[in-house]
Amino acid sequence: MITIRQGLREGVFIVLTAGLLGFVFTMVMERGLFAGPPKQPPMSVASGEVPPAMIDIAEAQSLFESGNALFVDSRHEFDFKMGHIKGSVNLPLKDYDTRRDFLTTLPKDKVLITYCDGAECNSSIDLASKLHQAGFSGVRIFFGGWSEWTSHNLPTERVAQ
Amino acid sequence: MKQILANDSLALVARTFLGFLFIVASIDKIADPVAFANSIGNYKIMSGTLLMLFATVLPWVELLCGLCLLAGILMRGSSFLLSSLLVVFTLAIISALLRGLDITCGCFTQDPDAGKVGWMKVVENTGLIFLGLFTLFSTSVKFSLQSYLARQSVKRL
Repeated sequence: MITIRQGLREGVFIVLTAGLLGFVFTMVMERGLFAGPPKQPPMSVASGEVPPAMIDIAEAQSLFESGNALFVDSRHEFDFKMGHIKGSVNLPLKDYDTRRDFLTTLPKDKVLITYCDGAECNSSIDLASKLHQAGFSGVRIFFGGWSEWTSHNLPTERVAQ
Repeated sequence: MKQILANDSLALVARTFLGFLFIVASIDKIADPVAFANSIGNYKIMSGTLLMLFATVLPWVELLCGLCLLAGILMRGSSFLLSSLLVVFTLAIISALLRGLDITCGCFTQDPDAGKVGWMKVVENTGLIFLGLFTLFSTSVKFSLQSYLARQSVKRL
């Protein structure tokens, strides 16, 4: 009991000190609380180039129906097998570096649209950035992703087990 | 049990391991509080100013606790805080897994290429909680600044 009480007392001291250091540091460095509201992590794109743009469900659907787009699923292979946007290909972000040969199979004349689960993930943004850097122009990010696509009952398919 | 809690070598190893771990974990978060706030935000537990407050203070708590454990001062407070934090982190991860959230942990790095949260993380954290509780209830103060300072003050008397 004495241990817990001592732990609490010292803990409060540490938290107060940490709070003070945290505020002073972020204020001096103009980060976090003192750098405006949270935003999406910036994409590292070479200067002068247009970064991949985000598209909404309407635009994603329209590109899907036009047949001029290829959806690239950045989720894990397991999630892809369980269900994905019809006609999409799977390139998990974590496997990007080891599957460079896969890039040669991607069409250069189509719009590549990356997606992941939805608002809870950022892998579609990072994959789009990598594809853009690899020389694919016209890459788009469908940030609503799998969740939004299925909530609109748009065409999906799954890999047969 | 008392013998284990009084074991100097075990206590030193546990303290050093936890200390290093949390110092390393805090560096990326201190350097980029916004990325850390985004990582926490992905858990969909808190948002707005509270989220930014948390992202501002928490990394420093981790850093101070890590340093205190390594130096051997305020060891009870550090162990208490780290154990409590680990319990909260683990509950957040379990909650994210149960809600089917597809997110990265944000535990040690803010790199989006880092692994996603999974049940393995829960197992790892449970081990760390036991380690934190061990350092909290450990009665060994050998190789600590605290015991060195105590010896110095006794010598002065």
